[in-house]
Amino acid sequence: MRFAGVSRLTINPESRLAAAFVAGGVVLIAVYFAFPAGGDAQSAIYDTLGVLSVLAILWAIRHYRPETPLPWILFALGNLSFVVGDIIFDVNPDISSPSVADGFYLAGYPLIAAGLILLFVHAGGHHRRAAVAEAGIATFAFALIQWTFVMHPALTGSGTYASRVVAATYPAGDVVLLAGFAGFLVSPAWRKPAFWLLLAAVASLLIGDEINGLANSYTAGSGVDATWMLSYVLFGAAALHPSMRELAEPRRAARLRVSTWRIVLLTAAMLSPAAVLLIQYTRGENLEIPAVVTAEVAISLLVMWRLTGIVRALERLRMRERQARAEAEAAREQLSQQNELLLEADRLKDEFVALISHDLRTPLTSIVGYTELALDDEMEPPLDEERRSYLEVVARGSERLLRLVDDLLFVARLQAGKGLQLELKELDLAAVAAQVVDEAQPRAATKSLTLRAVADGPVIVEADKGRLFQLLENLISNAIKFTPKDGTVEVRASVARDGGVLEVSDTGVGVTPREADRMFERFFRASSAVTNQVPGTGLGLYIARAIAEAHGGRISATSDVGQGTTFRIELPAHATPQQADGVLVA
Amino acid sequence: MSEPLVVLVADDDDDILLLVTTRLRRDGFTVIQARDGDEALDVALERRPAIAVLDIGMPGLDGLDVVRAIRADDATKDMRVILLTAKAQESDVRRGFEAGADAYVKKPFSPADLSARVKELAGS
Repeated sequence: MRFAGVSRLTINPESRLAAAFVAGGVVLIAVYFAFPAGGDAQSAIYDTLGVLSVLAILWAIRHYRPETPLPWILFALGNLSFVVGDIIFDVNPDISSPSVADGFYLAGYPLIAAGLILLFVHAGGHHRRAAVAEAGIATFAFALIQWTFVMHPALTGSGTYASRVVAATYPAGDVVLLAGFAGFLVSPAWRKPAFWLLLAAVASLLIGDEINGLANSYTAGSGVDATWMLSYVLFGAAALHPSMRELAEPRRAARLRVSTWRIVLLTAAMLSPAAVLLIQYTRGENLEIPAVVTAEVAISLLVMWRLTGIVRALERLRMRERQARAEAEAAREQLSQQNELLLEADRLKDEFVALISHDLRTPLTSIVGYTELALDDEMEPPLDEERRSYLEVVARGSERLLRLVDDLLFVARLQAGKGLQLELKELDLAAVAAQVVDEAQPRAATKSLTLRAVADGPVIVEADKGRLFQLLENLISNAIKFTPKDGTVEVRASVARDGGVLEVSDTGVGVTPREADRMFERFFRASSAVTNQVPGTGLGLYIARAIAEAHGGRISATSDVGQGTTFRIELPAHATPQQADGVLVA
Repeated sequence: MSEPLVVLVADDDDDILLLVTTRLRRDGFTVIQARDGDEALDVALERRPAIAVLDIGMPGLDGLDVVRAIRADDATKDMRVILLTAKAQESDVRRGFEAGADAYVKKPFSPADLSARVKELAGS
């Protein structure tokens, strides 16, 4: 991320200004070291960089208009404070310590730290226990090191009391600055180029101070100046990058990840009291017990606080997971209950259909039987033609009604899971086709249809003759129903590898491919059947499929609207009856 | 056919009883009617008709019980029996034959076809 940010810095047009500022700054720093140490030229370059940094920040505030300009104003003031200190120091190189310059220098630290902390708060960092705890742990560890190795030696060193206090205040400023730095580093602020530039600026400042503090002496024009000058340049560049606007915007979706470097830094911070004691012990110094104990207690409490947060978060997560699981279980339970209800409803419906079918047979027996008796030629006196034709209509109607009842009963039985019991015998499909076609001829004739059975020779398979009749009868009835006058219906029997094939094709209205896929479903009716009010229950093809599959065969249909439909039934040479349910649940 | 053949017709539905009776009488049979299973069995044992046309679903003894009783009695065990039923399932057909029926006719039926079956059985 950091490197991605840097590389974007060099290629992205909006990063050009900041990049140019860094480039120019680095060139000036290089030029600085070309001049004699401690000379006026060096002072001029140093002060120019500082002034440029302050101006860059002020220009950026005016130009980019961040929603919360205060942190940037504080950065500008902090750097200005340093610049003023520099200038005073340059003008009076021999000024005695402590001096006014020290006042300006020291004022810079809290200003910059305050700016960082403001950014941290604006980005929502204070709502994050992890961020606050980690920044605290790092700050206490750093404070302990500063106190033990820089501040305490400075306080107890040589010089006037005032100069010693001032010397010890610098590292204290660094502690404040580091608190801001650490907080900003772990804050949920956007990881934009401005974020990294700002971090680098503060880091550069801190590194310079530490090198200088530990060296315990400063000479103008030494290498450490580079870090401070670079800090100026980076502050300016951070402000000049357009992403400075977004630094204070809270990044809600961001989750803090526990990355490796984070664990390493925290571990180092936690080990710092022990390390400090060890270093002091090996050096033979007086052990800073009160400072070490204070830091250790503070760090331990923060670690505990942080851990509690993690444990609580885990507990919340577990609770949510349990809740989600319970909800899923409840949903599953409900689903299975509904499923049971559905099955029960389905069973009741099938029972109902079976009962109705049975009860319909008794009155139908009277209708069919008495109509036949009435039409009996031997009856005296004989029927006149008009009454005879009426009774013939009754006979045809009851025949249709009977077929419907039979179909319903058949389907109800299939649905009840009772399956089909086949009486298997070797038979000739061509002969069966010819017979069914013969029986249907009168119906085809009423619509002037050409109905024919075609076969090259006998097609022998093992099958239930009655069921095959029923199947073919269903398909041929359909074909006759859906084929307009003067059309053709053809039933073709042919030998196939390991079995036989029956094809029933018509020149009828056809269906769409979508409907062709659904035709074999129970109660499915093609849209053409519905719009043309062709009578039917939507059971015929369902029954046809059940019969084909009960033989271990399959049925399929190809159709084109306006072109006609072809049904193809493939039957194995030896029927392999299969349990009907499963296959037949439509 | 010197003596008209006696046929027992048992059905609890009066309309169907009359339907079968009418057809068979027109075809020259002598018909004895019964309206439930017990009556049918009494008639079968006493009058020993040549053929019995029995509905399965009757109050009291059902058609299957009557067939079994007829087959169990030495005097009537060779009687021809046709079962009539609205139950058109294979298992019912199988049960009917297991009980000892000679033929099975599903409702609704063509009276002429039924009469033809009766004639066929009478001749065998």
